[in-house]
Amino acid sequence: MTQDLYVSSFPRLEAKLPGQDAAWLKALRLQALERFKQTGFPTDELENWKYTNLSLTLLKESFAFETATSTAAVATQLKKAGFDVDKAHLMVFINGRFSKEFSSLKPLAKGITVQNMASSLSSETVKAFVGKIAPSQNRAFTALNTAFFTDGLFVQLEAGKVLDAPIHVVYLSANGNQTTQSHVRNLLVLGDDSKVNVIEHYWGENLSAYFTNVVTEAAMAKGSSLDHTKIGLEDIKGYHIGSLIALQEEGSRLSSRLFSIGGALTRNEIETTLSQKKAECVLEGLYLAKEKQHVDTRTFIDHLSPNCNSHEVYKGVADGQATAVFDGRILVRENAQKTDARQSNKNLLLTKEAKVYSKPQLQIYADDVKCSHGSATGQIDEEALFYLQSRGISRDEAKKVLVYAFAGEMVEKIESAYLKPALKKLVDNWMEVH
Amino acid sequence: MLIIKGLKAKVEDKQILNGIDLTINPGEVHAIMGPNGSGKSTLAHVLSGRPGYEITGGEVTLDGKDLLSLSPEDRARAGVFLAFQYPVEIPGVNNTYFLKAALNAIRKFKGQEELDAIDFLELVKAKLKPLKMNESMLQRAVNEGFSGGEKKKNEILQMAVLEPKLGILDETDSGLDIDALKVVADGVNALRGKNRSFLIVTHYQRLLDYIVPDQVHVLADGKIIKTGGKELARELEEKGYGWLTGEKKEAKV
Repeated sequence: MTQDLYVSSFPRLEAKLPGQDAAWLKALRLQALERFKQTGFPTDELENWKYTNLSLTLLKESFAFETATSTAAVATQLKKAGFDVDKAHLMVFINGRFSKEFSSLKPLAKGITVQNMASSLSSETVKAFVGKIAPSQNRAFTALNTAFFTDGLFVQLEAGKVLDAPIHVVYLSANGNQTTQSHVRNLLVLGDDSKVNVIEHYWGENLSAYFTNVVTEAAMAKGSSLDHTKIGLEDIKGYHIGSLIALQEEGSRLSSRLFSIGGALTRNEIETTLSQKKAECVLEGLYLAKEKQHVDTRTFIDHLSPNCNSHEVYKGVADGQATAVFDGRILVRENAQKTDARQSNKNLLLTKEAKVYSKPQLQIYADDVKCSHGSATGQIDEEALFYLQSRGISRDEAKKVLVYAFAGEMVEKIESAYLKPALKKLVDNWMEVH
Repeated sequence: MLIIKGLKAKVEDKQILNGIDLTINPGEVHAIMGPNGSGKSTLAHVLSGRPGYEITGGEVTLDGKDLLSLSPEDRARAGVFLAFQYPVEIPGVNNTYFLKAALNAIRKFKGQEELDAIDFLELVKAKLKPLKMNESMLQRAVNEGFSGGEKKKNEILQMAVLEPKLGILDETDSGLDIDALKVVADGVNALRGKNRSFLIVTHYQRLLDYIVPDQVHVLADGKIIKTGGKELARELEEKGYGWLTGEKKEAKV
């Protein structure tokens, strides 16, 4: 889909987008469109996009703006997938629009807001934060998202509020003979010492190509805690470009978990700015790719202040002719003394045709810091395979055992009883069918 | 039971086994001894189906079944068990899970019902005791961080759980102190029975003081050059291999 087509379609589509009476948003959308005009889609000449060539993939496809509907029984399917949805606040978006019918929220305490973005555009908080944490400069897909977003999740917790049950947000893409695209904008605003658990669950059941472009902004005030899980289960017709951009204040804690499994092409970006002292982030991720899938994971941690910690562990498995990319950048600025930053990326290649590009980057401008990074890519250990076979375990089964031994660490370390069984099932299923 | 006829094998371009003939009857324990490079371990590997060897001649049958055409897992299911000289560490795979998966794969093959977690645990705990193994090792990853002795005991534990027809011990005594050696030997002796045979590959006679063999074979240059009773092992201990293979070889022992 070309840049020109987006730009020329904007005037026609703009009138149908939510926020017609929010002047600030109309202005923001126009400004974003201008940014997008300037930057255009990223090419592989850009260092950040070197291994993910969009001109041969995403940009060759064309996606209709009209929205298809679906009657998928979301809750039933989630239960089948191993989620005990009765224990969560369920928010469902279908092709980028909120589905009240399939959503079910539990009663919420005063000071906690969980609703869809399109219904929240008169909120002063939304106005104050949208586009501020993830500005459109030099981010083509964020600009595109800002110009075209139809809906998304809005969560706000006032100071001291804690929401125990997870907010499970399903973004279902389901089309028929016509292609679709959805631009989803999420905003999470956490007050001082508040705490929330959000699951973004992307899932596709499509007959035609589709494109999901999502931006999640998280504003984390002092002492707040965000547990964020992203489950990427787009189907093989899907192109997914998504980012989580967080801004962390003093003593806040971001725990981000990424399970990226589906999609023809997936790009996940996770960025956080540790803007005040003693902020902390733990980023974990597992990406599994098979056939001709392309999965690109990019993280950026900006250590702006002293005494902040960042721990990153990403693991990937590439099978078939799949390509996996990991680009992890850590920037420790001059003022960020006593930083403790650790990053690890490990990849397992199951075939000779599969490819992995791993690029850890540490840029350190402070002198009193502890920083480490490691990257390793290897194959299945033939010795271990024979050992298992020599005990009567079939070669196929032995391979699965060894892949799970590698990837399962990312499941085993999950503490949430809500997530763990379902994610384990997900990884098991991937091994069954791959 | 196990019949090896004219077995020849090579690794890459190097001929290692030059025609092995060996018959082990049910219940018998045979020891294969020989200098380094004689092909002892290769014989053990070839019988278990380890990749990397090319069979250039001969045949091997276990109870009439052609072993050489089977995959390693099918050999295990047919009753072959190799106790590794260097047991493999497998991080991330729990020992109990591994043992249960192995046992159930074999049971399934035999048409027996698979054991559930509770029955399995009961079975494996009973097998741990004689090996003086701590139950905590069941929760650890397969061989990961195990001492040399623990690894070898773990091999014997696996053998005790899987109850093979033919147990092949590949230099199980290497790297063991005398106490661990005794425990391992007791474990093997406890498994001896009229329907189970053993092939014990060893460089030293020491292990054979504890696991007394019915027959001892001396392997040199990929061939059995002498066969005798248990007293042959002691003779080798005293005289070395030189008197059998020629002085030239003795320097290599």
